[in-house]
Amino acid sequence: MRYRVTHSTRYQYALSVSSCYNLAFVIPRATDKQYIESTQITLLPPATTRNTRTDYFGNLFLQFSIEQDHSELELSVTSVIVIKDGCENSNLDFGNSCSYVKKLLQQRTDTQTLHAREFILDSPMVQQHPDLAGYAELSFTGDRPFLSAVMDLTRRIFTDFTYDPKFSDVATPLSDVFKHKRGVCQDFAHFAIGCLRSLGFPARYVSGYLETLPPPGEKKMVGADATHAWFAVFSPGEGWYEFDPTNNKMTGDQYIATAWGRDYCDVTPLKGVIFGGGHSPQLFISVDVQRLDEF
Amino acid sequence: MYKNFSPLQTQSQLQTQGGEEQCQHLSSDREINEAYAENGQVRKHWKYLLESLHELGAAVLDERQKKVRRILRDDGATYKIYDEPDANQTWQLNPIPLLINSEEWSITEAALVERAELFNLLLQDIYGERKLISQGIIPPELLFSHNGFLRSCNQLKLPGNHQVILHGVDLVRGPDATMIVMADRTQAPSGAGYALENRTVMNRVFPSLFRDSHVHRLSLFFSRLRQKMHELNPNGGVARIVVLTPGAYNETYFEHAYLANYLGFQLVQGSDLSVRNGYVWMKALDGLKRVDVILRRVDDVYCDPVELKGNSRLGVPGLLDVVRMGNVAIANPLGSGVLENPALLRYLPQISQALLGRDLAMPSVKTWWCGDADDLEYVCANLSRLIIKPTYRKPGLYEVYGAELDDTKLQAWQNRLRKNPYQFAAQEYIQSAKSPTWHEGKIQQRATILRTFAVASETSYAILPGGLTRVNLDLGKKIISNQSGSVSKDTWIIASEPEKKMSLRATTFTVPQENSSELPSRVVENLFWMGRYAERAEFALRLLRTVFIQINKTETLPDVVCRTLLTATTHITSTFPGFSNQDEALYQNPEPEMISIIVDQQRNGSVANNLIAMIKSAEQVKEQLSSDTQRVINNIGDELDELKRTLTPGALSAPEEALARLVTSLLALAGLINESMIRGNGWHFIEMGRRIERALQVITCLRSLLTPKLDDIEQEILVESALQCGEVLIPYRRHYQSGINIEHGLEMLMLNTSNPRSLIYQLEQLTAHFTDFSGNKEKFSAESKFLLEATTALKLCDIKSLVETDSEIRQELDQLLGRIQSLVVRAGKAIGQRYFDHAQGPQLLVKHIDWQDQL
Repeated sequence: MRYRVTHSTRYQYALSVSSCYNLAFVIPRATDKQYIESTQITLLPPATTRNTRTDYFGNLFLQFSIEQDHSELELSVTSVIVIKDGCENSNLDFGNSCSYVKKLLQQRTDTQTLHAREFILDSPMVQQHPDLAGYAELSFTGDRPFLSAVMDLTRRIFTDFTYDPKFSDVATPLSDVFKHKRGVCQDFAHFAIGCLRSLGFPARYVSGYLETLPPPGEKKMVGADATHAWFAVFSPGEGWYEFDPTNNKMTGDQYIATAWGRDYCDVTPLKGVIFGGGHSPQLFISVDVQRLDEF
Repeated sequence: MYKNFSPLQTQSQLQTQGGEEQCQHLSSDREINEAYAENGQVRKHWKYLLESLHELGAAVLDERQKKVRRILRDDGATYKIYDEPDANQTWQLNPIPLLINSEEWSITEAALVERAELFNLLLQDIYGERKLISQGIIPPELLFSHNGFLRSCNQLKLPGNHQVILHGVDLVRGPDATMIVMADRTQAPSGAGYALENRTVMNRVFPSLFRDSHVHRLSLFFSRLRQKMHELNPNGGVARIVVLTPGAYNETYFEHAYLANYLGFQLVQGSDLSVRNGYVWMKALDGLKRVDVILRRVDDVYCDPVELKGNSRLGVPGLLDVVRMGNVAIANPLGSGVLENPALLRYLPQISQALLGRDLAMPSVKTWWCGDADDLEYVCANLSRLIIKPTYRKPGLYEVYGAELDDTKLQAWQNRLRKNPYQFAAQEYIQSAKSPTWHEGKIQQRATILRTFAVASETSYAILPGGLTRVNLDLGKKIISNQSGSVSKDTWIIASEPEKKMSLRATTFTVPQENSSELPSRVVENLFWMGRYAERAEFALRLLRTVFIQINKTETLPDVVCRTLLTATTHITSTFPGFSNQDEALYQNPEPEMISIIVDQQRNGSVANNLIAMIKSAEQVKEQLSSDTQRVINNIGDELDELKRTLTPGALSAPEEALARLVTSLLALAGLINESMIRGNGWHFIEMGRRIERALQVITCLRSLLTPKLDDIEQEILVESALQCGEVLIPYRRHYQSGINIEHGLEMLMLNTSNPRSLIYQLEQLTAHFTDFSGNKEKFSAESKFLLEATTALKLCDIKSLVETDSEIRQELDQLLGRIQSLVVRAGKAIGQRYFDHAQGPQLLVKHIDWQDQL
């Protein structure tokens, strides 16, 4: 599958901004499942300094500063991505059991497992908690295949939680999301990660895009899509597997990953510092995921 | 190495009071003393010192201790205890140094070099390959759970072989008499500056004792530090190096200022710096100056709100990426706080094997990490014998000694450790060796800890021959730290023979911090305000003194004169409403209000309020002030406290006399500024502040006292008061033999160019400052134009016509003064606009989220 993704972020400021310093995680990274044909970045006003760098987690990020007066900032990234075939349909009923996975996590000394243990630990936005463990453990019985248990957790979050963009913002704590069982993809991903970590399993946050299938017979609406987020879980010897609790499925060829980290904090699409600008900058985001294979 | 000895002491002076019995569980341990051997004999290298101290006797030693305290205070040597509300405490130095003989020191030194090299390799590995994790030498959680591990700093490298530039180590001598490491400081190790200050003070207080003891000198270490900082310059040319401080509210701010001055680097705060075009710049008076190297005293997580702690106000947005580009070097590098994790000590032997291929010569204290399941159980079972340390230091989270906890607290700690095992380590409590310490009039033995310092130099490290020794005077306290009130000592490495003079091979760099246009705008602004507040307070004091004298005169003052004087007091000090709203009761008994205008610190415009503001501004620019100036500022604070005590309504027959000493101290300050300050931009701005303020005060004084037209006798008293207030009554009398009248009075106060308190004098001085200071590149700047207009208006005036009037108010005089006042105010604002920093603080695009902080 071949996609063109256009992700635009626009800030409008009440007052002029004299300078800004930013980091953006908006460039899709190459992974086992996808490769990047091209990426085009436009920035208005033009940047004073601008660099594409690789972060600690292997993600690409854009560093830029704009050191002239501006009252609007627009960052637009267009990438062409090819999703490799055969990402879907893993058989979840095979593979290591939950208890064996836990044992392997402590015993295996391969680099991948040692480094994956980082993702069991608390991170700025996701902390382990007995309540999360309590919610999750129903799915993780000792000899159940691990990935099947994770899928079950994914399904339960999908069933128990209501998608409600009005409920949360980036700073809504996990405990509120759990209490009200409402939120958006970011909250659901964080919640699942919190559940897994509370049980001692490594889980990481993945940000990216999802092609929303248009209704039959209709052409997809441009700009109807948004940035998406899901999670990945690690099974020693088997690797990382991605699940999407917002849509109750493992990720497949409609999923394009941008970046991953311990949580949203590590891969915030655009963050930074501005001088000036007045109060409450207005933020406009649009994402367009076009399938290129169709003629 | 020392031999053990049982606690037996022969000399009566050295008998300690109580407290010798140690904590129960350690009572079987034998006790080590730095100065006395097992058999009670004085160790050889302590002999000369102890004999000399005994010869001096208790009275002299007490005297010296006082002298130490006085010098430290005069030097402005402070240390802030965060839990105590008192702003700053004078740094505490005990007059008896810790002595170490050079044979033992050379062994210690070698071990410290080895340790610094290991920590250097460790830091490289943590932000580079992380083979310690891949190879299973340390558990991944040890690194990954630590808040000092900054993922944004991955792969950052300083140019050259060294990542750790400064390494601090806390050492104690354990019960087996060998030195043992308690902790490492790698973020921004503090204490070397205090050690240097301690040495300077000891040198002055015990000059001959010091000279005859053959003590190793400290200066070479700091030359090496300076040289290393220059070598880190990534940009070529002569490096501009700054010391980055969190500011005057930091516990060790004195040291930041002291080191900056000693090393010849500019002291800056985050807001003084700005990132432009991929470089770091200092916002100086005459524009941006590129900064090449930063000696960092701000904790790394606070250094860049873009990539690190978003809500930090202490950093420089964009700094981290400049480091990535290699356009600025920071020492110690961002991310180096990760090495301060005490749990690392548990794995240090394995780490040393992996990175150095051998064991460390000097051991670390036995340490457990609660992140290890077995360790956690051990720690919980033995909590009452252990020191609990958070793996990541932050304000409010201190180490705790289990023996000092009751059962409830022990249980609470157990729960806390089990809940957050990764965040805590525990260490064996070491009964550290004691050293002779001067306390309560005699020599007493106190447990002692030494912080040593290593600096990267050439291909390895160089150790400061000495360090910062600390002891607890309070025997009940088991943990020795400055935050818990310990006192410091100088540390003397005693050579067996006089030290050969050594110096660094000729250094090639020229000294760059040549001119004061390099001052950050913030510094200049503080100096400007220091000048203004000082003058404002001084003028108010003179005025109040004059008013006290007038109203306390034996002959009754005409009512209108009295009212005019009191109302003027309110106007000149801006302490409204005060006397301005014709309150009869206040006029009848003005003294309480006048005293309030002097001592009420909470009241805007009061003398106390202005003096405190002046002292705060001075604190902000400490590094610019000489120790004489610091002493005078201390005196001002003391005089003010004294006034607050003595100056109460009705308490004094002549309150004006009580003000004299404060006026004298303020004059001393003005004198020092004029006699001891280099005529650089700092001086220009302090003086501009003073002149602007004085011009405005003179104007308000003249407008309140001399614009009302009164009959001759009343007028004469007011003119006399104005002259008195302006310190020119006697010169006036000498000059004008004809007696006091308003025309001559105005001439003296407005137009006499040889009267340093006249209005024209202020305007002319201001003009001279505007033209002279080097930041000024414009010929006809806004402020110069305002001033030219004011000066011209003043020079063109005709006193006779100003004085004459048919109404009750001298309109023409009032208008002229009003116009000049507005021009001076505008000139002041123009200066602020042009030279001070107006950048608002940054704001974040995305809210800062870090719920982990709630731990």
